[in-house]
Amino acid sequence: MIQKVLVPLVQIGIVLNVMLLVVAYLTLLERKVIAFMQVRLGPRRVGPHGLLQPIADILKLMIKEDITPARADRLVFWLAPCIALAPAVVMFAVIPFSGTPLEFQVFGTTLRVTPWITDVNVGLLYLLAVSSLGVFGLVLGGWASNSKYPLLGGLRSAAQMVSYEVPLGLSLVGVLLFAGTASMVGIVHAQQNAPFWFFVPQILGLVIYFISAVAETNRAPFDLPEAETELVAGFHTEYSGMKFALFFLAEYMNMIVVSGIIATLFFGGWLPITFGLGYLSPRIPEVLANPAGELFGLAGPFWPFVTGLVWFAIKVFVVLFFYLWLRATFPRYRYDQLMRIGWKWLLPLSLANVMVTAVLIEMVR
Amino acid sequence: MKIPTPSPGALARLVPFELLRGLMVTLREQFNPHVTVEYPKERIALRPRFRGVPRLRNHPENGEDLCIACNQCAIACPDNCITLAGEARPEGALLKGKRAKTFVIDYERCCLCGLCVDPCPTEPITAIYMSHDFELAHYARDRFVTADELLYTGHGVTEYTR
Amino acid sequence: MDATLLHTQELEINLGPQHPSTHGVLRVVLKLDGERIVSARPVIGYLHRGCEKLGECRSYPQVVVYTDRMDYVAAFAGNLTYIEAVERLCGIEAPPRAQYMRVVLAELQRIASHLLWLGTHALDLGAMSVFLYCFREREMILDLFESYCGARLTLNAVRVGGQLNDFPEGWVEECRKFCEILPAAVQEYETLLSVNRIWVERTKGVGVISAADAIDWGLSGPPLRGSGVDYDVRKAMPYAAYAEMDFDVPLGTHGDTYDRYLIRMEEMRQSRRVILQALDRLPGGDVRAKVPKRLRPPAGGEVYHVTEGPRGEQGVYLVSDGSDTAWRCRFRSPCFVNLQALPELAKGHLVADIVALIGTIDIVLGCVDR
Repeated sequence: MIQKVLVPLVQIGIVLNVMLLVVAYLTLLERKVIAFMQVRLGPRRVGPHGLLQPIADILKLMIKEDITPARADRLVFWLAPCIALAPAVVMFAVIPFSGTPLEFQVFGTTLRVTPWITDVNVGLLYLLAVSSLGVFGLVLGGWASNSKYPLLGGLRSAAQMVSYEVPLGLSLVGVLLFAGTASMVGIVHAQQNAPFWFFVPQILGLVIYFISAVAETNRAPFDLPEAETELVAGFHTEYSGMKFALFFLAEYMNMIVVSGIIATLFFGGWLPITFGLGYLSPRIPEVLANPAGELFGLAGPFWPFVTGLVWFAIKVFVVLFFYLWLRATFPRYRYDQLMRIGWKWLLPLSLANVMVTAVLIEMVR
Repeated sequence: MKIPTPSPGALARLVPFELLRGLMVTLREQFNPHVTVEYPKERIALRPRFRGVPRLRNHPENGEDLCIACNQCAIACPDNCITLAGEARPEGALLKGKRAKTFVIDYERCCLCGLCVDPCPTEPITAIYMSHDFELAHYARDRFVTADELLYTGHGVTEYTR
Repeated sequence: MDATLLHTQELEINLGPQHPSTHGVLRVVLKLDGERIVSARPVIGYLHRGCEKLGECRSYPQVVVYTDRMDYVAAFAGNLTYIEAVERLCGIEAPPRAQYMRVVLAELQRIASHLLWLGTHALDLGAMSVFLYCFREREMILDLFESYCGARLTLNAVRVGGQLNDFPEGWVEECRKFCEILPAAVQEYETLLSVNRIWVERTKGVGVISAADAIDWGLSGPPLRGSGVDYDVRKAMPYAAYAEMDFDVPLGTHGDTYDRYLIRMEEMRQSRRVILQALDRLPGGDVRAKVPKRLRPPAGGEVYHVTEGPRGEQGVYLVSDGSDTAWRCRFRSPCFVNLQALPELAKGHLVADIVALIGTIDIVLGCVDR
């Protein structure tokens, strides 16, 4: 009972709270990184170097007046941010944060706490299915506002999301073929013996997945649903206060989930970055995976757990930095050009990727 | 002259090399020093000819009122913000001519154009000059009508350090 | 499918006076069919301050202050046009040193204005960082102006009969230093934008106007030259010391946004060329001619003087009646005339292109509304 119900509940609680905090500080990281790229400073005044800025932002959004337009569809207007946020949060259930489960001795029984909330054997499929649900939130938000700018934003986002669902899914089939399993933990285990994990053999899949993900999460250069300079604020024009905060959270949460997926599927999840030195000696990957245990002789599953967490976090932050880097550099696409890229370029390329991968795997076998 | 229109080759059209070059530019700029001046902790050094609000000054050597109340600055002002009245100088004054009895400048109207300084005829320096005061925000509107003594000393600026 | 089954309606949307990208208080009433623009009607007047009426109520030297504030991005161009018109009206000629100084300052102002245009145009289309980089370079020009005349935006840097002051100590060296770093900066913008496929797709083929149409609509400046019409007031009717300057006027071929963008980038380089020439050949002597204290041009005098501002042909039309204020003072603003072509340019484009079009015409609402 405790193992099956209480432990997952505690895991969910921890992951949810930590992720909300990470999302809040991701907004600060975005502002600082983009500011440094633009030779300015970013937030500095709230707390040292702006570190309390996300807290200030959250407080402000909570106490702001919640305005609902007079002729808006009240139920859908209220529901849309929740529908946008829920899938983003739920996707964290299958992402493995580290490699080593922890064991606790409590009241005589042994509790096993895994660094993933659950490891279904269709984890990848679950992720793709749930991420598609996030579209509804944006479209409903745009429609329910009963106002022209959000309507245009909602229409654009519907067109955009539909265009990029298929390449998103197809680009991951290559990884599936390599790993032989759709379970996220299984895919990481499959990368343990592969040189350069999966990002070199599946470089095209990675690029296509990343571009599709940028389009799915409405980030520059595909951020037309919320193009500030064109549609005021797109689908979330009429939203204020906590509802607006939920849309914001949903967008950043999606970014983190996508980064987590890329880190898990292409960059080896919690596996240490060995810089290719594993060929020199098999000791190097072992030391990098658990420096506390190997170098200082500290036993127990706690230290490899923490080290795996650190490696995973590093990879996620590299991908997030890439997201921010793109936002700071590129102009945004018009939506017809964006759909053209999705249908004419990414879809055939991802199909080609699947076919070539399948053929090569058969040939090698 | 015809503008040079860049035309990429076939490979450059397929592979986005120029996007990567663009990314390198922003990455490189990240390590450049920031251009932000953290006002009010840091203040920008103003150039000598900076035009703040107009103020009056005394003769540099003998400290007498330089202004001879010729009214040229009031005539030159496009906003009609200067009003002054003249009176005769007292006996034994070192400078010739009249001097200003009252001198009022309305800082709310002043557009900081500097046209009042051009016609001022006093020697060796102009009686009216553009100071470096620009931090004028205040809660009371009537405080902007600046007269007599305050024109010489200027409104004090509250220095914020944070 | 029968059109009456699906009730479709044209969407009338207001790109309101308060909008993150209309460069001021411009209102554009858009009629959309889905995302396609059926008609775009600009509504102006939100920044009208009665500058032309004020020109009749203030004496000639005082009106310069209002020319600063009309096209506030390129204040020197407005100053210069007006002061040269007054000089022509009164028959005063500025000394050669003042003419060369005016050329240097006018070209510096052109570079500053184009930098701001580039930054805001790129920002509208999503490239946020270019905005900051452009403003970093523009700060240097504004510092130069601050050293020279004391103000950064509302310059009031010209006087009837010449310039009020000579360049201060070290100004020429600072100006040369700026001219040294400018090519690298422009190259950086080109790396980020000119060959960037996203930028090219957003601007190529957008807002095409033919040469004949451009002349019919009365366009001037880069919108006219983008369509291939070789007309630049600095070459056609030289003023200040431009007759002695050696520079090229870039021309486009397609008349689209991309060509206008390339033209303005090239104009920045050509302006730098002019500045260096003028600084090399700066003559000595007085900076201001003898001017009567109260300017009273003879009654019945009439002058229309044009210059090439960064946005196009700027003109001032003055009629004098013997008193020290003008009888009629009319400012021909390039942005006002160029903006009239917006409905023509916007035909058949998508909503996302409206922003690119407003940016490519390069309007400043102070100049449009006066």
